Amino acid sequence: MKSLSIYKICIKTAVSQAVAYRFNFFLSLLITFLGSLLLPLVAVLIYGAGASFPGWSFHEVLLIQSLFTVSQAMAKVCLGNVLWDTMIHVREGSFEVVLLKPMEPLAYMIATTFSPDSFGNLLCGLALFGYAAAHAQIVSAAAAIGAGLLLFIAGVAVMAGIQIIMAATSFKWVGNSRLPEIFGSVEAFGQYPIAIFPSAIRAVATFIVPVSLVGFFPAAALLGRAEPEAFWGAGLSLLFLGFGVWLYQHMIRRYKGAGG
Amino acid sequence: MRIIVAENLRKTYKTYKKAAGFFKRETTYVHAVDGVSFAIEEGVVCGLLGPNGAGKSTTVKMLCGALYPSDGRLEVMGFSPASDRKKYVGHIGAVFGQKSQLIWDIPPIESYKMNRAIYGIARADYKSILDELVALLDVADVLEKPTRALSLGERMKCEFIMAMLHRPRVVFLDEPTIGLDVIAKAGVREFIKKMNGRGTTFILTTHDLADVEQLAEHIIIINHGKKVFDDSLTHLRRRLGDKKLIELTLNEPPPPGALEGMVVTVTGQSSAFKMTLEADTRDISGCIESLFSRMSVRDISVKEPPMEDIITALYQ
Repeated sequence: MKSLSIYKICIKTAVSQAVAYRFNFFLSLLITFLGSLLLPLVAVLIYGAGASFPGWSFHEVLLIQSLFTVSQAMAKVCLGNVLWDTMIHVREGSFEVVLLKPMEPLAYMIATTFSPDSFGNLLCGLALFGYAAAHAQIVSAAAAIGAGLLLFIAGVAVMAGIQIIMAATSFKWVGNSRLPEIFGSVEAFGQYPIAIFPSAIRAVATFIVPVSLVGFFPAAALLGRAEPEAFWGAGLSLLFLGFGVWLYQHMIRRYKGAGG
Repeated sequence: MRIIVAENLRKTYKTYKKAAGFFKRETTYVHAVDGVSFAIEEGVVCGLLGPNGAGKSTTVKMLCGALYPSDGRLEVMGFSPASDRKKYVGHIGAVFGQKSQLIWDIPPIESYKMNRAIYGIARADYKSILDELVALLDVADVLEKPTRALSLGERMKCEFIMAMLHRPRVVFLDEPTIGLDVIAKAGVREFIKKMNGRGTTFILTTHDLADVEQLAEHIIIINHGKKVFDDSLTHLRRRLGDKKLIELTLNEPPPPGALEGMVVTVTGQSSAFKMTLEADTRDISGCIESLFSRMSVRDISVKEPPMEDIITALYQ
């Protein structure tokens, strides 16, 4: 209950902070909205040229990509700045300010780095999902929708886990600005039908860094094409997130501060 | 009652040094705090001093629970700061002169509301504490302005409110007057004195010796990670012996051998007409009488030796 009230007031503070520079806030919304349109553009070009991902129609691919965008946007809004803020605090030796608060440092970082700037990604993802869902053959059975929702939540957990793991590594590798790029490349495997990748990449994207859950598996479930491995991956996603949280808490012990 | 106890406290960092060969590096260990022990009584203002790199910031970070000691025992209000961090930090406050806890783009009042939720302060208590602190620091006019628009002095006063809203028993101050003008410094010092008078214990690290002279009763000096002094300000002053400085302005240059036979040392002479002498306080009146009989004195002043001299001697 106390955590919720802290989170509520932190969100209010983050929104006040964001609207302190109104023009920048609305420009960010527009840019992030337009930026999210670039992902389906690839599918538009492929299908527009007469090519395709075997076994997947344009609207089905768009469904995968819209769910990926919504998942990614939710992670960006809720904890998109945890990585950069942790990195800055560690590099500048100001993480003491976080450790002075009587709560879990990760919870404090999540609460205070709520990022309304990424609402543009979320709006775009939701708009794309609405369009794709209206044109793809979504199964209306409760089981399919329930499975899709479950796998979507698992996908959000994977995205959150990725952000937290990257943030945790900054306690050891101070200023590791290249690491997010590597994770960004791994995430990209979740944007397309998994069947187009070689089996080794499928295994990694399902069981090691389960990015297939971010877009592909929930979309497949909504289309009635869920595979059993998706549910194994869903279980792993919770372990993945749990590992991220554990790693962050563990790495705080390595915090050294900066020279005084 | 002892509120802080440190026994044989150590913090060692592993660092790397470039060695011969392109990829080779040598592991070295830096003992930032090397077996420091001290105890601080509740309700005092304790000055933790030392030159840059002495280990005082590391000590304060361990006291705040931000760093785990490598060895030794540390206990504050019965808590082990790093191990009991979540419970412990609810009882302490901290003001870092160079690290703000206020949110830059929004007014301080919004940051206070966030702290109210984090520390679980009841609304009625929050209102009365805030009103009291705002009145003491005279910042009612700035609470609604964005933090970025405040002067450094206003911002520092607002930092104090941020650190003390939850009524901490111990407050750590890391260079709280750095960069402030004389009026703002005086305001901050006055506030610390008032809160200390109400029972709050302050641990102060600073390079401004005026802060120390005006606020601290207990002084701990650390150098090269080791404690070199731990006693009262009065005892620190006695380190220089029973001496006073006598500043003289003369009507004419002193005759040769004017100071012969007197137990004084000339410590400064800016011209033939101005000189500073160091004299034994046990016979200060006899010394002054002698000076007047031997020279034509236009002006005289008797001062305490500067703290810088004592501190410099301890730092070396």
